[in-house]
Amino acid sequence: MLVKDIMTRHPILVAPETPVTEVQSIMVENQVRHLPVAGDGKRLQGLITRQRLALSADELGSLNVWEITRHISQLTAKQIMLKKAQVITIDPDRTVERAAALITDHKISGLPVIENGIIVGILTETDLLRAFQIMLGLPMAGVRVTVRMPNRKGEFNKLSTVLAQKGWGVAGMGSFPTPRHSGQYDLVLKISDVSVEEVKEALSDIPDQTIVDIRTVV
Amino acid sequence: MATTTSLDTSSITYGHTGPVLKLENVAIAYKVRGGEIEAVQNVSFEINRGESHGLVGESGCGKSTVAWAVVNFLGANGYVKRGSIRFLGRELTGRSGEDLRRLRGDQIAMVYQDPMQALNPSLRLGDQLKEVLTVHRGMADAEAARRSIEMLERVYMPDAADVMRRFPHQISGGQQQRVVIAMALLNNPALLIMDEPTTALDVTVEAAVLDLIADLRREFDTAIMYITHNLGVVARVCSKVGVMYAGEMVERGLVEQIFKRPQHPYTQGLMRCVPKLGADKASSMLYPIRGRVPPPHSRPIGCVFGPRCDYAQERCRMERPALRTMPNGVQVRCHFAEDIDPSQWQPHEDVELPTLREVVASEPILEVQHLKKYYEVSGSTIKDILGLRPKSYVKAVEDATFTVQKGRTLGVVGESGCGKSTLIKTIIGLEDSTDGKAEFMGFDITGNIASRDIKLIQELQMVFQNPDSTMNPSYTVGQQIGRPMVRFKTVPKKQVRDEVIKILQAMRLGETYYDRLPRQLSGGEKQRVGIARALASHPNLVLCDEPVSALDVSVQAAILNLLLDAQSKLGTTMVFIAHDLSVVRFFSDDVAVMYLGQIMEIGPAEAIYAPPYHPYTEALLSAVPIPDPTAAQKHIRLEGSVPSALNPPSGCRFHTRCPQRHFAPEGGAVCATQIPPWQETDNGHKIFCHIPLETLRTFDPVISHKEKD
Repeated sequence: MLVKDIMTRHPILVAPETPVTEVQSIMVENQVRHLPVAGDGKRLQGLITRQRLALSADELGSLNVWEITRHISQLTAKQIMLKKAQVITIDPDRTVERAAALITDHKISGLPVIENGIIVGILTETDLLRAFQIMLGLPMAGVRVTVRMPNRKGEFNKLSTVLAQKGWGVAGMGSFPTPRHSGQYDLVLKISDVSVEEVKEALSDIPDQTIVDIRTVV
Repeated sequence: MATTTSLDTSSITYGHTGPVLKLENVAIAYKVRGGEIEAVQNVSFEINRGESHGLVGESGCGKSTVAWAVVNFLGANGYVKRGSIRFLGRELTGRSGEDLRRLRGDQIAMVYQDPMQALNPSLRLGDQLKEVLTVHRGMADAEAARRSIEMLERVYMPDAADVMRRFPHQISGGQQQRVVIAMALLNNPALLIMDEPTTALDVTVEAAVLDLIADLRREFDTAIMYITHNLGVVARVCSKVGVMYAGEMVERGLVEQIFKRPQHPYTQGLMRCVPKLGADKASSMLYPIRGRVPPPHSRPIGCVFGPRCDYAQERCRMERPALRTMPNGVQVRCHFAEDIDPSQWQPHEDVELPTLREVVASEPILEVQHLKKYYEVSGSTIKDILGLRPKSYVKAVEDATFTVQKGRTLGVVGESGCGKSTLIKTIIGLEDSTDGKAEFMGFDITGNIASRDIKLIQELQMVFQNPDSTMNPSYTVGQQIGRPMVRFKTVPKKQVRDEVIKILQAMRLGETYYDRLPRQLSGGEKQRVGIARALASHPNLVLCDEPVSALDVSVQAAILNLLLDAQSKLGTTMVFIAHDLSVVRFFSDDVAVMYLGQIMEIGPAEAIYAPPYHPYTEALLSAVPIPDPTAAQKHIRLEGSVPSALNPPSGCRFHTRCPQRHFAPEGGAVCATQIPPWQETDNGHKIFCHIPLETLRTFDPVISHKEKD
């Protein structure tokens, strides 16, 4: 999976001259938290997030209510946006885990996706979380089983051999080093068109592997 | 137990899927002298990312007006009167031109019916494509050229780099439309508006363009607004569809739901108007919707469809229904949508239905043998002018052999440029033939019309595609229909008027039409007059050149029924040309399939539409859009375009594009060298192909219906 596969294409964009009042209403009405600012040809100029709309008290402190109104009505997107140089972006051909790392490392919530300087999409935490759900097979019906196995080569092969023998289909899969137990791996599988008993019976005979969790309702 | 079924992941989407375009209660009005006209009222719909939303309806229902409103192309006197149009979360109505230009900028692209109107004929295609990128993106020329070529390859343009250097007229119509689509996609628009993009294209080209649109939608996540009158096309490319009638959205929902169970009487009526390819001829009766779309200034107070609706009640006349959401999620604008059961439907007594006739074998009325029509091409070099170079010919019709029996209909199908029209022009005498024999009721008709006896001319009449260009605009309807009667002296002069009125009534037009001028008639009425004139001299043979292709589906159904009726009453024999295979199937007893001037397959209609097929017929059938999303169709697409008739391929003319050539003897080598034999099955069905009949018989039917639940 690459960024271009899970990003939101055709994001809402604003021009740099857009009044801030309009920027605010666009963000609220469309429930977006990131609004890339683009000039002609969809070239990235900056990014507006919810925080950028919070005007500082210092700035407004010396103004009376009339002056505040005038000040706000004259503000444009260009004045409040995070400038291009400071915006962290990603290329559509990078991997999703790299995108997730960028987001966690910089403690941000979204990345404009840029190809040759042109905005082609936007990738937010929400998009990553949606991909995560799909990865583990949330939309599909089936048995969700977590198998704990030793962290060594050949273990997954044992499991997949059983799946192949049974002719079962996997609707979602993810593997995690077992939390607080180094040397072990937890593999989460979503198996479709089977019953809990069938899965239990088939997987419990695998040497060194244990079922730590099994359920149909996720 | 192992299961073989795969998981259905079609509903899973990544990323944000909110609407790209959202229309709410939009009303669009045109200012005219003495007031204004609301062309569109109360239209609401939304299109999500990566979704293609169809808008269907007859002409004059406001489909295009909606599209124009989105791009602010309504003209000086049109404006959005009420409601909101939101594009990517921003309001489009009430903005200044410059604002709109910036907002829409390169985010909305449009593709229209005629590609030549979108291309500049005096500029090379490459320059036109590059301009999109250099102007909107400020891209360097070389980079723009590289991306343009990439995009041309994306739309499956053969030899993309070479196409960049060509002018628009040097590529075919289907290729032009692909260039326009490529141009529209260069900027990666969020919304693509397509207004009848394939209506002007041949069925095989149309199929390729529709495949392309479906591919690109998935790849670019572009929202598509697809405007068309063809229900088959909607079933093939759209996921949702809105049915428009008289400026209102009358029904909207998922394509499968609308086609499986249409709930609005208008949608049901539309479905009954379309000939279905899969069904057999006897059961596929066409039921036109009576009446016509009311013009915007005289719409009824109540339900706009009320006057044409078979279920209309008092409430429908008094109160305009609102768009309601039904339990299955479909939105319907009808008071009685729950109570209407389409299976209980009976045609209204006003609806003109043909009396079914018995088709019996009888003596042949028209016999054509080895008919050829070549057009000489004059070159422009000095050698050509001096006559030193051998003359070259366009071989428009090559070796046509067929007979038409009295009272039967021969349908002729094929792509444009295959010689269908030339064939009937030669028969009627507008062109003289180059070689071969043609006899009509025993008279030789190879010469042109000047050499024919007036009695012979009287017996051969023609109905043209475009009634506008065949009627004298300054003569009244009565004069035009009466003209053949006077000319051929079939009716004493004093009785001409009575006779014309009689024939007008047979065409369901009534006496009041006698003194009208052509411009006072609608398209369907004009075509009725055209048919009336062709039938006025009681001809034995009527040649119809695409008589219904320019008409709306409900008018088309009425005209087809009228022709069938006239045929069964008068016993007229017909030759019927159409490019729409479902219409031909519906209308004809025998069918001839032409390719590049050569008849490829001929026989009874049922035999043509079932295996064994000629490979070309098979390809044509698999390209026809079927208005039924549950019908499965074989996927056969012809490569390349039709070769030039100036220098047709040797051997079998179809060998350069034949998808089944490897089945022929010697792996298809004979196809290029030898002219194929005529292979005949027992019921008079003849196929012009090298592939043995036994092999052709093993091909699966092109169209199969899935189990209906």
